Amino acid sequence: MSDAHAHGHADDGAVHVHIASSRFYWGIFGALVLLTIATVKVSYYDFGSMNTVIALLIATMKGSLVAAFFMHLRHDKLFNTIAFLAAFLFLAIFILLTYDDLGQRARVEPDYGSVVDRETGLAAPGGAPATSATVDEVEEEAPHAAGSAAPSAHPAEKPAEKKE
Amino acid sequence: MQHHFDTPEQQFNASKLGMWVFIATEILMFGGLFCAYAIWRAMEPNIFDQAHHFLNKILGASNTVVLLFSSLTAALAVRSAQVGKRNMTTIYLVTTIVCAGIFLVIKWFEYSHKFHLGLLPGHCFGHPWFSATVQNGQEVGTCLRVHADQTSSMPQWVRAIDESGHEQLLPPRANMFFAIYFCMTGLHALHVIVGMSILVWVLYKNLKGTFSPAYFTPVDLGALYWHLVDLVWIYLFPLLYLVGKPE
Amino acid sequence: MAAVDMPHVGAGHHAADSHGDPDAMYLKASHGIRSWLFTLDHKRIGLMYLTMVALAFLVGGVFALLVRLELFSRGKTIIDGETYNRFFTLHGAVMVFLFIIPSVPAALGNFFLPIMIGAKDVAFPRLNLLSFYIYLCGVAILLTSIIMGSVDTGWTFYTPYSVQTTNSVISMTLGVFVLGFSSILTGVNFLVTVHSMRAPGCTWGRMPLFVWGMYATALIQILATPVLAITLLLLCAERFFGIGVFDPKLGGDPVLFQHFFWFYSHPAVYIMIVPGMAINSELIATFSRRAIFGQFAIAMSSLGLAILGFLVWGHHLFVAGMSEFATMLFSALTFLVAIPSGVKVFNWTATIYKGSILWASPMLYGMAFIFLFTIGGLTGLFLGTLSVDVHLTDTYFVVAHFHYVMMGGTVIAFLGGLLYWWPKMTGKWHDEFKAKIGFWFVFVGFNTVFIPQFIMGSRGMPRRYYDYLPQFEIFHRVSTVGSWILAIGLFTTAYTLLEALWKGKPAPRNPWGSAGYEWMTDTPPCLANFHKQPVFTRGPYDYHLATAEELSTGWDEVGGEPGSKKD
Repeated sequence: MSDAHAHGHADDGAVHVHIASSRFYWGIFGALVLLTIATVKVSYYDFGSMNTVIALLIATMKGSLVAAFFMHLRHDKLFNTIAFLAAFLFLAIFILLTYDDLGQRARVEPDYGSVVDRETGLAAPGGAPATSATVDEVEEEAPHAAGSAAPSAHPAEKPAEKKE
Repeated sequence: MQHHFDTPEQQFNASKLGMWVFIATEILMFGGLFCAYAIWRAMEPNIFDQAHHFLNKILGASNTVVLLFSSLTAALAVRSAQVGKRNMTTIYLVTTIVCAGIFLVIKWFEYSHKFHLGLLPGHCFGHPWFSATVQNGQEVGTCLRVHADQTSSMPQWVRAIDESGHEQLLPPRANMFFAIYFCMTGLHALHVIVGMSILVWVLYKNLKGTFSPAYFTPVDLGALYWHLVDLVWIYLFPLLYLVGKPE
Repeated sequence: MAAVDMPHVGAGHHAADSHGDPDAMYLKASHGIRSWLFTLDHKRIGLMYLTMVALAFLVGGVFALLVRLELFSRGKTIIDGETYNRFFTLHGAVMVFLFIIPSVPAALGNFFLPIMIGAKDVAFPRLNLLSFYIYLCGVAILLTSIIMGSVDTGWTFYTPYSVQTTNSVISMTLGVFVLGFSSILTGVNFLVTVHSMRAPGCTWGRMPLFVWGMYATALIQILATPVLAITLLLLCAERFFGIGVFDPKLGGDPVLFQHFFWFYSHPAVYIMIVPGMAINSELIATFSRRAIFGQFAIAMSSLGLAILGFLVWGHHLFVAGMSEFATMLFSALTFLVAIPSGVKVFNWTATIYKGSILWASPMLYGMAFIFLFTIGGLTGLFLGTLSVDVHLTDTYFVVAHFHYVMMGGTVIAFLGGLLYWWPKMTGKWHDEFKAKIGFWFVFVGFNTVFIPQFIMGSRGMPRRYYDYLPQFEIFHRVSTVGSWILAIGLFTTAYTLLEALWKGKPAPRNPWGSAGYEWMTDTPPCLANFHKQPVFTRGPYDYHLATAEELSTGWDEVGGEPGSKKD
């Protein structure tokens, strides 16, 4: 299997990798379990909008441990890390630029699908009013969605654009 | 070594890079679902908050630990292969595969409970055809149908007991949460199955004695794939089970 | 002799029939049908791809001709409206997914990328073969769906229509899904090949621009195609289970489908055009017999296109009901794409300037590429302008713009590349006169088809319509006649290439006098591409450093080529 045709490499062309001890891997596993317990514990407290941030932060710490040590990125070629992180970069582009559309439209009222103004919470022009339907009215309420493309009363605001 | 490489090192590095690039594609494939998740969560935070109480944190956390442990054994399998302990590699690989099986079994229980409650994506949300109101002699959930129209294909209101024992009334639009839940965990489960198959193949090769400290690339790549499965779950678990307002 | 240098250690790892004498010409290294079906040689896989891609081009072209013929006169000409819808969908789907995406990378790229970096093969030959069979699988599924009733959604499968329509959307999307996998595998393979298989002396700075283009394409294939996969899976889930992600009645959003789809498909148009630019850089340098102007800038502009391509997909959604903020953002970002495109066009022009131009048939295509791509690119700026786009969306203007970039860009470059490399691939010399005749028919025909479409588009003729108003009849007629001229040109070119196979004289090693690495080896190349491990001591466009022997006969590898390794 070996041959002396190595070019440009300082070494003998054989595979050399960093080998960590078993104890080290168990240590990482311990840290991962602790973080899992932490994230579950934390979820019983309400930090408002920070809930998601904290959960994602802990998840990222866990993910980094897995990637760096279980997946050997710490001792691997730099480009492998770049390839791995590039995926997240493009994922971020994907989510952010999609969100700049859907997040910027008039919001859809959760229960009934009607369109409400993001700022005021009132029924948006062109959208059906967000009534407080009872369970009995559900059958009529559920399928409807707002009509689209009606002229907006607030020129600065987006017109209701929920499309059927 | 294959003929077109100059050195085993070149081949090893090429294979690793190939696997990492493939992992990047997998992340972007899941990325579509994460994007959908982010958008609906931002648009309908209350629905997500209400619906996520129907996911069992304890089962989710157990599954997380099971997967983390399988990741550990996968990493240890690679280590054993690197130092040439073939029998240890076998033991660790088998452990990993068994853990994958345990994960799927737990997932199965979670899925079937959702089916019983009628908590399904889209048209099936609250559809009585799926839902059993009584499970183990206890009333767990009811699909609220106003008209006797059993053929309606629209999602329905669901009144059901969530995982903390509270009775909740879920609006039809909560189907989106479960659509995303089933898509994400379903695609992940698919990856678990694929990962298991890869590890079984690696195990077979190991039993045949293919690997040595000079050549262990398939063990390494198989483990990398398995870590990816773990990595995705590390994010799925908090995003689906934990995020939201606590009781 | 040279073979001593080759480490043939891996023989046992291969199927016996894919293995052959590395110094034998690749077509003669092994024989029989099995030597093709199980080949791991990137050159043979490239040829198999080329055959399939050419067939797909033929099929897609026939659909295009039928669509054009139907539009020759108002009302029904040859087919009814439903069939017409299916035909233009199939023209789009076949051309995009079966022809143009695999055309340059999988066919020409497979053949030349390893040679141009001095490698013996791509990094993962078995994956390469697998990707070809996955491609065949995708073709088979697509054909099944055509037989099972076909699809009339357009190649974009927009929801909600694609969820509601009764025809075989699922099998069509599954076919595209499978083709996507083939594309990903090719991308992964090329990226790793470029990273780990370059010959000594083939630094990033010396890497040929064709390889840079393939590298940028591979990046896009890797980063964008998975999103298409998940999009199509969601579409299938939507149809099977009604999960509602794209259904507003269930709380979903149909515009989200367009976001998902174009996050892939806009970068995918760079999968289509960047390889065309890559070929063109080679053509312009060789036939101007000059070091290409701004080699680094062109290389970086390929990467720039690859990355910017991910930021602009929203310009396909300007009138789809997107938020105003997003439309403005995407419109602004879209203009950025003009920068790397402009860098390329200006650098090509600067290369030609005071060059020693050889008016061979590939150079005609190279020149046409610059001309047509510039038109296509600039009309793209009209469409990227928000206010203009509202008027032009879904008109023939878009159709003409797209075809100027895709056909006037990629297909022209593909034809140029075929003629350029045909002697190297087959060892046969084609008839230059016929090739030039073919070129002029293609060039004139192409413009005759699409210039009228620009005009009627700007006057409001909507695309995809079966019928039209009387004032558009003259444009449609001219356009249809143009399609016949174009077809004559393409058939002439195809005939020229095929004729060379059985009537052509043996081609010399370096017929065009190029300094490019791929011309330094045998014609056609041997199984291992080079007899000895090549060591590149100059760049692929360094005409001032290349010796007269190199520019006429390449490297004399048996006698020891310049810079040959001594170990």
